[in-house]
Amino acid sequence: MADNETPRRTLSARGRWAVPGVVAVAVAAAVGVPALASADSAGPPDVTPAELLTRVAEAEPTPVQGTVVYTARLGLPELPAEMTGADPLNLLGGSSTLRVWSDGAERSRVSLLGATSEYSVVHHGPEAWTYSSTDDAVTHYTLDPEDVARYRALAERVEAAPSAGADLPTPADAAAQVLAHAEEDADVTVDRPTTVAGRDAYQLVVSPTDDATLVSRVVVAVDAETAQPLRVQAWSTSDGEAPSLEVGFTDVAFTAPDASVLDFSAPAGATTEEVVVPLPEVPADVAAGTVPDDPAGALPEGVAVTGSGWSTVVTLSDVDVAGLVGGDAASLATVPGAERVLGSEEAQDLVQQFVPSDSDGTPGKPSLDTTALYDQLTTEVPEGRLLSSTLLSVLITDDGRVLVGSVPADALRAAA
Amino acid sequence: MSRAEVLDGPGAGLPVAAPAPVAFARLLRSELRLVLGRRRNLVLLAGLALVPVVIGTVLLVTRDSALSGQGPAFLAQVTGNGLFLVVAALFLCLPFLLPLCIGIASGDAVAGEASAGTLRYLLVVPVPRTRLLLVKALAALTFAAAAVLAVAVTGLLVGAAFFGVQDVVLLSGSTVPVGEGVVRVAGIVAYVGLSLTGLVAVGLFFSTLTEVPVGAMAATVVVAVVSTVLDSLPQLSAIHPGLLTHHWFDFAEFLRVQVDWGVVGSGLAVQAAWVAVFGSLAWARFTTADVTS
Amino acid sequence: MTSTHDADGDLAVRTAGLTKRFRSGQVAVDGLDLAVPRGAVYGFLGPNGSGKTTTIRMLLGLAHPTAGRAWLLGSPMPDAAARVLPRVGALVEGPAFHPYLSGRANLARLDAGDATADPRTSRRRADAALDRVGLSAAATKPYRQYSLGMKQRLGLAAALLQPRDLLVLDEPTNGLDPQGTREVRHLVRELADGGATVLVSSHLLAEIEQVCTHVGIMSRGRLLLQGERAALTEREAARLAVTTRAGQADAAAEVLRGLGLADVARDGRALPGGAGTARLTAALGPTPPEKVSAALVHAGVDLVGLEVDRPSLEQVFVELTGEGFDVAR
Repeated sequence: MADNETPRRTLSARGRWAVPGVVAVAVAAAVGVPALASADSAGPPDVTPAELLTRVAEAEPTPVQGTVVYTARLGLPELPAEMTGADPLNLLGGSSTLRVWSDGAERSRVSLLGATSEYSVVHHGPEAWTYSSTDDAVTHYTLDPEDVARYRALAERVEAAPSAGADLPTPADAAAQVLAHAEEDADVTVDRPTTVAGRDAYQLVVSPTDDATLVSRVVVAVDAETAQPLRVQAWSTSDGEAPSLEVGFTDVAFTAPDASVLDFSAPAGATTEEVVVPLPEVPADVAAGTVPDDPAGALPEGVAVTGSGWSTVVTLSDVDVAGLVGGDAASLATVPGAERVLGSEEAQDLVQQFVPSDSDGTPGKPSLDTTALYDQLTTEVPEGRLLSSTLLSVLITDDGRVLVGSVPADALRAAA
Repeated sequence: MSRAEVLDGPGAGLPVAAPAPVAFARLLRSELRLVLGRRRNLVLLAGLALVPVVIGTVLLVTRDSALSGQGPAFLAQVTGNGLFLVVAALFLCLPFLLPLCIGIASGDAVAGEASAGTLRYLLVVPVPRTRLLLVKALAALTFAAAAVLAVAVTGLLVGAAFFGVQDVVLLSGSTVPVGEGVVRVAGIVAYVGLSLTGLVAVGLFFSTLTEVPVGAMAATVVVAVVSTVLDSLPQLSAIHPGLLTHHWFDFAEFLRVQVDWGVVGSGLAVQAAWVAVFGSLAWARFTTADVTS
Repeated sequence: MTSTHDADGDLAVRTAGLTKRFRSGQVAVDGLDLAVPRGAVYGFLGPNGSGKTTTIRMLLGLAHPTAGRAWLLGSPMPDAAARVLPRVGALVEGPAFHPYLSGRANLARLDAGDATADPRTSRRRADAALDRVGLSAAATKPYRQYSLGMKQRLGLAAALLQPRDLLVLDEPTNGLDPQGTREVRHLVRELADGGATVLVSSHLLAEIEQVCTHVGIMSRGRLLLQGERAALTEREAARLAVTTRAGQADAAAEVLRGLGLADVARDGRALPGGAGTARLTAALGPTPPEKVSAALVHAGVDLVGLEVDRPSLEQVFVELTGEGFDVAR
């Protein structure tokens, strides 16, 4: 009988089509399971806001290496992404990935990653280098020998050493800025614990008491074990869905990085620029990381401050905006107190990012048409041009004044 | 003696089949000879090999004046270090030329045999369908590897001849010795090759759907292009990490001061996922479909 | 399945209720019960589009039946494909090879896919197969330079790469000139003499009718009839025509009816014997013609002429279906 030739057991057509289905489910599971697993950790023991603040303040700087993702949802017009490679300007919008290595003391490296480029900032105590792979250009920041001695003295007193040169955002920096005066003009609470980069973390919520500001709250995720900040989120009053600014580790290890990573020597063939940075005469309180209660007293000429706390508006007078955006180095001289701390930390950040060359105190090579960028980012208003984002407004008046504040645009226009 | 043999009657002994791996290897050799001996495919490889020659010549003539400040850093670095010609050529071929070649090779794999009618004769030889699909997949992967190597090897030769080979300056600004530089560039070549495996699987699946090879080829290339377009839309950032082409340029990881194997691994894992899904789809389709060509 | 294994063992090809319904809903093959005895040369006949090729595709495991089952050499298809197909040579719907490879390279390519083929003898077997179909001289020419007839021959050579127990030849004479057609017929007979079973399909009855021992006729997806060719053409519709003097027509008709012949009728057409003769026709049935002539003579009828018209398969087909054979649907 033909039937007794046992046919090899083969899958039916339907059975065969089930295989890709199973594979797809397995792939989906492989993607989804880590997310689920991170959701059900037991969580660290409870802690009060005051205890947490103290633990953060007292945490020793530790060696760290990891990957940081910085995301800005500022509601600004889209910038042509990847046009410039790894450029700090990209921090204005979208997501950027940074890699951070620090030995917990004097040496660190932070790299902003482009798809096929990198912008690195390497600190060795009083020395710093930036390297842009796009331009193959090194900038070497040093203090003059006199200042180095003073720096050493300062560094002994202050743990968070002031550093020369440009900075890229890291959770630690951002957290330091927020928590430095968290308890002024704001309520500090602790939200339920979360997980950041696979580590248990407390969430410290800083909510401004001031209604006039655009900042709704700032949430700092603090590693439960080391008390190091793992993530900072700034939420706007205008967007309850997602934080307007977020910088946090996606991957972190509190171990000492390879010494070779922290080394830097200018590569052969790169253009190198030497910059000697004057170490400013810093009052002790500023050096300690706090801002004077009345900044107006220390303000340079041409800078005026109105309002207070989170809703501070800073007005700069007689700024050659057109020259600045055109990359005219001479116009830098018109920016009053370019190196000075502005009223709000976020404002300071954004101003630096908006005019990145200024924050270095050196004219950077304009890597794209900044005038066009300026036109794209700002809108015409009767008073001049307005840049309006979810966390910060900037009004540039036709008579050369620049008003900056974490307040709604209308508040700036009224102030102008 | 089994009943089957009795039924066959005297003198009709069952033919003895070689062990599956032996039969597989024999068919694979034949398939590779077919794919790598085909003039169209050789022209494709030669065309790819021409890319670094052209870039190198242009850079040699213009001495980077034409390209400075444009494109990725390693394009400008080529004149200083011929090793970067490999990277620059791969960078320029990756968005379109390599997917095109992969599309042609993998889209043709099954559909080409179907349209020529040779598929039915292979199947009645008989070649088991799973074995045939595996052989086709391996041959397409081999062609993909040959395509990447065509770019890399000519890039290395032309780069070394025109500009010499020096210590390698990484994107991070660190400098590594030639030996490590060559290893890192080899890593890039391997990563680029493996990054194309997902597209090979997609092409193979399309190839099982149709008897019109050009259709399968075009569809494969379209997938790569559409993936690139989707990858550039920030509104779709949620799906970006899973896109076929999203991690292609992560080969730059090999040029950073510390290679993050997590990044390399996730890029390869995405390819593995595409290979698993589309490979199994191709298998399900090919082993159940009626061959009507 | 109630058939005994002996019966099955004698069948090289068997199908039971084999049915193929396309996704369009069209039924290409409808409940086919083929039975091809071992050693037979089975003429699988039918007009273009009658379902022959679809049936062959299902027999060889290329297409999956919607319903029903098929056995080749006693083993179920497609489950036993790996075991059975090495013993089956096939030409399906015309030859197909890689155009840029030579005839010999194409055969080597197919041989490389055969797990049962010995790679050491591959070249020798390929050359022998090419020789058998008369392609030795063109062995190294690329396939694309082959004429239609040469392509067909190469297809046959591929089917002959290995010793086969069964050959399935779909339209093997397509594209061949009369000389080539004769050669194919000769080859088929030779293969059958060697003990192989040959299933040969064609839409041109006359071309293969002569070599067949068995016949199956398909139309519109159904098998109209199958069996030994001789029996089919004998049994069915052999006709007798008797020419007599005009005046004796009635007597002759009487004799014919007396012999039990059916369908006796007077043919009014112009007669070969000229004026004064009459022509009667009748279905011959199993009656031997010599018995008819003897009876007529015995009854005193002057026999001017007696013809026996044995119908060709084509006529059988027309009779069965009422339509011409070589008509595509």
